[in-house]
Amino acid sequence: MSAGSSSRLPRKRPSGRKALLATLMLVVAVASAFPLVWMVLSSLKTPAESMQVPPVWIPRTPGLDAYEKVSGVVNVGRSMWNSLVIASITTTGILVTSMMAGYAFAKYHFPGRSLLFSVLIAAMFLPPIVTLIPLYRLVGSIGLNASLAGIIVPNLANAFGIFLMRQFIAGVPDDLIDAARMDGASELLILYKIVAPSVAPAIAALALFAFVYHWNSYLWPLTVLQGNADAYPIVISLSRLLSYNRGAMNTGLVMAGATLAVLPPLILFVFLQRFFVDSIVGSAIKG
Amino acid sequence: MIQRYRASAGIMLTPAVTLIGIFILLPMLLTVWLSFQDWSTQTPFASASFIGLDNFREIFGPTSVGRDFKGALVNTAIYTALSVILILPLSVAFGLMVYQDDVAGGTALRTVLFSTYMVPMIAVALVWSKLYSPSEGPFNQMLGLVGIGPQPWLSSPRSALISIVVLNVWQQVGYFTVLAIAGLTQIPGSLYEAARLDGANRFEQFRFITLPLMRRTLLFSAVIAIINAVQVFEPVALITQGGPVGSTNVLTYHIRRVGIERAQGGLGSAMAVMLMLSLIVVVCALFALANRKDQE
Repeated sequence: MSAGSSSRLPRKRPSGRKALLATLMLVVAVASAFPLVWMVLSSLKTPAESMQVPPVWIPRTPGLDAYEKVSGVVNVGRSMWNSLVIASITTTGILVTSMMAGYAFAKYHFPGRSLLFSVLIAAMFLPPIVTLIPLYRLVGSIGLNASLAGIIVPNLANAFGIFLMRQFIAGVPDDLIDAARMDGASELLILYKIVAPSVAPAIAALALFAFVYHWNSYLWPLTVLQGNADAYPIVISLSRLLSYNRGAMNTGLVMAGATLAVLPPLILFVFLQRFFVDSIVGSAIKG
Repeated sequence: MIQRYRASAGIMLTPAVTLIGIFILLPMLLTVWLSFQDWSTQTPFASASFIGLDNFREIFGPTSVGRDFKGALVNTAIYTALSVILILPLSVAFGLMVYQDDVAGGTALRTVLFSTYMVPMIAVALVWSKLYSPSEGPFNQMLGLVGIGPQPWLSSPRSALISIVVLNVWQQVGYFTVLAIAGLTQIPGSLYEAARLDGANRFEQFRFITLPLMRRTLLFSAVIAIINAVQVFEPVALITQGGPVGSTNVLTYHIRRVGIERAQGGLGSAMAVMLMLSLIVVVCALFALANRKDQE
């Protein structure tokens, strides 16, 4: 817009404050996005380009050489499959156990309810390292170490999931449940047919949270697998890339690996971010 | 009728309570019990022998075991404090940027900020280890463009821990921004209107309306940020291995090294108990502080 036109038109020009705010927002967004953008760009460079000083920011001849090399160093297909199995089964288990327990806490009166709930909430705040050593031994003594089952079974119930489900199921009208009881429906059927559809967005949010969390999880799988590479999820396989050909040489390789690990959770997020955000806001406000 | 629902409550609760009981609460009690035992992680629990407070004396003692543990405790405290001090103000500032008149711009910024929270920490560690790379890393290259010499980042004991704090803040701040937005939306707009009529400027509105009404949200954020911060593991395990000179040896990494890799289960458990106690003390202190402010 030229100076002449702005003086003629009575349109409100953006004030200095607004321009400043917009600039600040842009700076924050760029700083936040930079590492991931740089990761993807670096994964597409040729080895020579990633060594160059001064650096090449945008690859001139983007190629997938680095990705091919990653699949030569680690078994990408197998690891991705393992991650998918771990995250899907764990998520399914969390959904079932959280909905059942959340329903009981929200809609039943039984002795010791608030005490039991408080104990579960306390468990939610316990950092995993506090229980890691005995848990490792415990899982070993029931014969589950060095296996996918060892990663999955201890995580099939989750205190945060119970908390979230209780918060949302409490909002389902009692009349709806009582009417179904009058018709002779069993409690499990009511949970499945009446309650679950009424809290579908919360279920979606919990499913996404659980899936991403267990896709990304590193400490427990690393501990329980004891070097059984056949069962490695993708995050553990990728951690081995850094020590492969240490130094500047492997930048493209490492970035290609990181991109592969980031893609599944990030794609889920892009399509379903509304659920993520709503459930965080929901758990914070109602909590 | 009541009897019937009592039975249903039992059925509904059994799966979750059994699993959490066996895999979280039982191990927690075992950690406390093991902290008073001489026990190797490679042997059954039954082979543990009671030694009173010896594990605690050793981890606070003058030997290398004590030095390493106390170092890890201090590093974790510094790491946690720095993370919280950076995350809370940034989350409020970013929250204010998102929650304003330009709805489309705000939503876009929220998406960008929150997306980093989806990234596995292992990928964060991989990417940032290259960003921090001394010679060809982009950070030092960019500093070079504005005439600042190369920084050692992860390779100096003075800057390694703070460098890991920075990558942690980068990854987590989006989550706390969303929490801050949730808090901001709870503040009734009429309060700002009234303040404007009384002639309060933007800073005064922030100081006397926004901040006090955000106290609950900030308390919740602080607790979550602390619990998240003590769990830092991947960047240390992957890049620094606790170094240089023990400067990034944090508790989660150290407890795992002692209790699992060196199989000193008793010592590791005593360290885990100290971590749990420290967390309880800090969180209770935060709540006490917030309650006192509420009464003012």
